[in-house]
Amino acid sequence: MRISNIFLSRIGKWSKRYSNLPDRYIQRAMEQVYWRNPKGIQYKPNAVVQKKKFNFGVQRPWSGQFKNENGPRDVPAKVFLEPIKEWSFFRGDRVEILVGKDKGKQGFVKQIFEERNWVIVEGLNCELKQIGQSKQRQFDGVWIQEEQPLLVTNEIALVDPSDLTSTSIEWRFTEEGERVRVSTRTGRIIPMPASNDETVDYKSKAVYKEQPKDTTSDAVTEVTYEPKLCTFEMDIMDKMGIKEDRIPLKTYWY
Amino acid sequence: MSSNKILNLCKLLNNVSLRKNEPIVSCIFSRNISTTTRKFDLMEFFDDQKNWGANDVKVGRAWKKDEMRLKSNVDLHKLWYVLLKERNMLLTMEQEANEQVQLFPSPERLDKVEESMENLEAVIRERNKAYHELETGETGERPGKHVTSRLGLRYYYKMSEHVVPKHMNTKWQQKYQFYKYDRDVEAFLLKYNEKLYLTKKRKQRRDFNHVIGLLKRFPGMDMEALKQQYPDVDIEKAKHSRKCRGHFEP
Repeated sequence: MRISNIFLSRIGKWSKRYSNLPDRYIQRAMEQVYWRNPKGIQYKPNAVVQKKKFNFGVQRPWSGQFKNENGPRDVPAKVFLEPIKEWSFFRGDRVEILVGKDKGKQGFVKQIFEERNWVIVEGLNCELKQIGQSKQRQFDGVWIQEEQPLLVTNEIALVDPSDLTSTSIEWRFTEEGERVRVSTRTGRIIPMPASNDETVDYKSKAVYKEQPKDTTSDAVTEVTYEPKLCTFEMDIMDKMGIKEDRIPLKTYWY
Repeated sequence: MSSNKILNLCKLLNNVSLRKNEPIVSCIFSRNISTTTRKFDLMEFFDDQKNWGANDVKVGRAWKKDEMRLKSNVDLHKLWYVLLKERNMLLTMEQEANEQVQLFPSPERLDKVEESMENLEAVIRERNKAYHELETGETGERPGKHVTSRLGLRYYYKMSEHVVPKHMNTKWQQKYQFYKYDRDVEAFLLKYNEKLYLTKKRKQRRDFNHVIGLLKRFPGMDMEALKQQYPDVDIEKAKHSRKCRGHFEP
């Protein structure tokens, strides 16, 4: 496994779901390469010197702010992350807050940070923050409310839809073989929220607005392949009327 | 002499104009007409003018392998050139944006196109491999083998095609020298393996200490999840560690 893939494996599936970006781009945007071994015969051919330790905060790993927070000389503080067997909090889930000034309030999950076991609940657990103050301009700045992340392990709990009270959950199988979250108190299924499928590009796959360069779904699903006993090159040459009857020289593979 | 030349040229042009309406007989297969707008000028290297200076350009996802497996070779061949043109366009736009110190909107488009190209190549390789395996019993891929280098390190050597056999190719023999017994190399390997061993040991110790830290901070943690994440760590041993206990006399 390449080093860069190790970073990528740390970014959880659900953290990057909403952004709808290809993994390849996330990796490219995130990596900070300081030196690469030149091509040719080397003792270590693919040696790369790059940043390996990142501080995963509320900034998204592919964003510029993340890069600012993780400069070449920044050494991130060690984080002890409680291991979780399976992620159970999704975008749009109704959750109850168990700590802080908003203890007992219910809200909806807005953002997921799997690499820190965090979620942000919409409009709750806010902190006042002053931004833009400057003595030079004699400006006090603006006060804004900023949602703070909450740990999924002990700071929030999912809400049972039948009685709207918090509950612990369990992953079980339905009769149809589908995996669902079940409330351990009432045995009711907690359905997957619709906004879990939402991305920055569309609310749901059904309402996706086709863009001018997109291939239509009819064109994608149309089957034009017919099996033939020839290679790709032979087929193309045949179709284009290219005839090749030269006999190649004898060559040696070693 | 010159008038003769002009006459010939006129004849040639006449011939061309006469033949224009005749159907092409010599070509067995006439290729489908490309449906993309053909401009044949350098502006094909640039994006649609609407997207210049845009904050983001919305596009769909990359082609998947499963979708490409449904397509005929001719379709894939055409798709390759569509993708290639798109990639050229995007690279041009990126370069231009960098030169003008402007934002290149939606850089993930490049990755989507390149991912599609990789998938397309993989599907074609799959088809060719199937043909070769059926006909010759071999994959038809570029051959290679695991070899040991002069430094005693194993690597995958990709073979290449040569006009002369190995024993006559002195240049190749000089360039590619594989392992043969050497006292210095043996000494190097001993130290190198020691280094690898120590790195492994250090990782094990780091993991063990990390598990102790976890046990100390989260006593009610899901032990199965811990076991899943650190399969090599002896958790029972970690639990009995002095560092795991709180600040009290047992």
